[in-house]
Amino acid sequence: MLRTVKPKNARSKRAMEARQPKEVEDARIAIFVKGTKTGEVLNGVMKDMMALKRPDAISFSKKNVIHPLDAQNTASGSSSMSSLEFWSSKNDASMFVIGQTSKKRPNDLTFVRMFDGKVLDIVEAGVENYVSMESVPGSKSTPGHKPLMHFASELFDTHPRFIQLKSMLMSLFNGEAVESIYLKGLEHVISVSLAPTPATLNTTTESTTPLPKVHIRTYTTRLLASGSRIPRVELTPMGPSMDLVLRRHINPDPELLKQAMRRPKLKKTDVEKGLGKKRKNLDVDEMGDLRGRVHVGKQDLSRLQTRKMKGLKAGAFEDGGDDGAGDSGSDDDEASNKKRKLS
Amino acid sequence: MDVSNILADHAEKIKPTEVETENPLDVDAGFLTVTDPNLIDVESYESSLETHLFSLARTGTQALLNSLFSLPTTSSPDGPLAQLPAPTTQLPRTKPLPKIKPLTKWEQFAKAKGIQGKSKEKREKKVWDEERQEWINRWGKDAKNKQVEEQWITEVPMNADIDFDPRKAARDERKARVTKNQKQHEANAARAQKTGSSASNPEREAHKKDLERTLAMSRTSTASMGKFDRKLEGEKKMKGIKRKVRFVFPSFYPEPKFNGYPRTV
Repeated sequence: MLRTVKPKNARSKRAMEARQPKEVEDARIAIFVKGTKTGEVLNGVMKDMMALKRPDAISFSKKNVIHPLDAQNTASGSSSMSSLEFWSSKNDASMFVIGQTSKKRPNDLTFVRMFDGKVLDIVEAGVENYVSMESVPGSKSTPGHKPLMHFASELFDTHPRFIQLKSMLMSLFNGEAVESIYLKGLEHVISVSLAPTPATLNTTTESTTPLPKVHIRTYTTRLLASGSRIPRVELTPMGPSMDLVLRRHINPDPELLKQAMRRPKLKKTDVEKGLGKKRKNLDVDEMGDLRGRVHVGKQDLSRLQTRKMKGLKAGAFEDGGDDGAGDSGSDDDEASNKKRKLS
Repeated sequence: MDVSNILADHAEKIKPTEVETENPLDVDAGFLTVTDPNLIDVESYESSLETHLFSLARTGTQALLNSLFSLPTTSSPDGPLAQLPAPTTQLPRTKPLPKIKPLTKWEQFAKAKGIQGKSKEKREKKVWDEERQEWINRWGKDAKNKQVEEQWITEVPMNADIDFDPRKAARDERKARVTKNQKQHEANAARAQKTGSSASNPEREAHKKDLERTLAMSRTSTASMGKFDRKLEGEKKMKGIKRKVRFVFPSFYPEPKFNGYPRTV
């Protein structure tokens, strides 16, 4: 744990303030850690993932003895956790990608997500069929551009392991909420799809059925004219591409997760704008303009002024006999009634 | 002139943007993410993996871009910016929510009275000097608040004492303002600490709640349930306590129904 230090000058004060909790958070900074042994495959995987994550990526290029998925009562497990917490606080990082290969678990990639300087959850996966970014010819995405993400399989909505994986990958690549985006700057898409779901796969409990493979592919996008406002998209493989086999995992501690899922209260202006509630009677037309429908209420037609005719006047029959002089001169019925009352 | 050929050529060049799937794709435009809830087709998966993945990704991306390009836009120097909606997927936060800063005494007063002054952030550090025709510091080196004490000649009022020093008077006034502000700042900080500590002391809170409950029970344990007890000065009205409705025996004859008209005798 770092000491709480009082900033000595304005610059360090600004730097410390930038690390304070914010209502709307920045992208997660990820640290790519090498374990005791990383093969050629994992080195490439981490390098390419960093290329996708840049500029919010930090590389730990030296070897580190780290086994976060070992049991917490063992020496290596608990020291790994404290190392992760230390690195997180030092670098203001909240994600780790750890690469480590061993005989038991070849090409092992571990994703660690943090909350408030503590480990929230861990997903471990083995890498297979890796194709590097370099080996695929063609243009690459610009660092710092937000990727599009595509997940394909119903398991991403139903199976707890894949819900966790989706959430983890979204946190890694796309977990930053932005207000607006330059549409021409959407250059690449990260596609994550699964092998067909085995019939015996049980979504509720841990079953012995092996989980389907995860296929991660990256493509660059080309937007073609389609005659309308919406372009037709064509994809070109960009690399890296790899298949993942899910291995061990740690679910988030429910209490910690509850804290992590707390949302800021919606501001009054946002509620007025229609956030938080369903926006009724609003849609965007083909020109991109916001169109609304307004209900104007029922029109009161009883007071509508139609053509004036002497015979249709309300007072014409009643007043005709006894007070002819006062009635015939006045245009207004009310005025004539008043006059009668007065006389 | 027959343009059908030209039209057909054009239609061939332009490919459709519509996406047809069994179940509609789940688009989260706020996170630029699309999820395809359809079952993976085993046949196409096994026949050629890469083409299968490619077509899945293209369909998904097209669906995502369809929704992104139909968002309302604002113009910017670089080009049109699409206004993204709030994300629908809930991702865990990196850090806990920021703590709400307690209001200072002045802020409390201003809020109660509805005063909208300039906030601290909006107050500029520089002020315009009419004589020198330039921006100068509000405080600090050669600042506006030191102009009187630093000018080389100062007018002295006729009735002033012999030992009246206008520079010292101006400086003392400024120093007094600084100490007053410091004192207020410390008082605000102390108040913030106090309010923060009472809320974070669960034992004290529990004791307070217990005491309140005992008081409520004792107040309602008289025959009139506290209604005709002698009230102490400043005693608060009890909330949420209702008199129980007396049970009424049902009469033998049913009550006459009100038919909306005055009864005729």
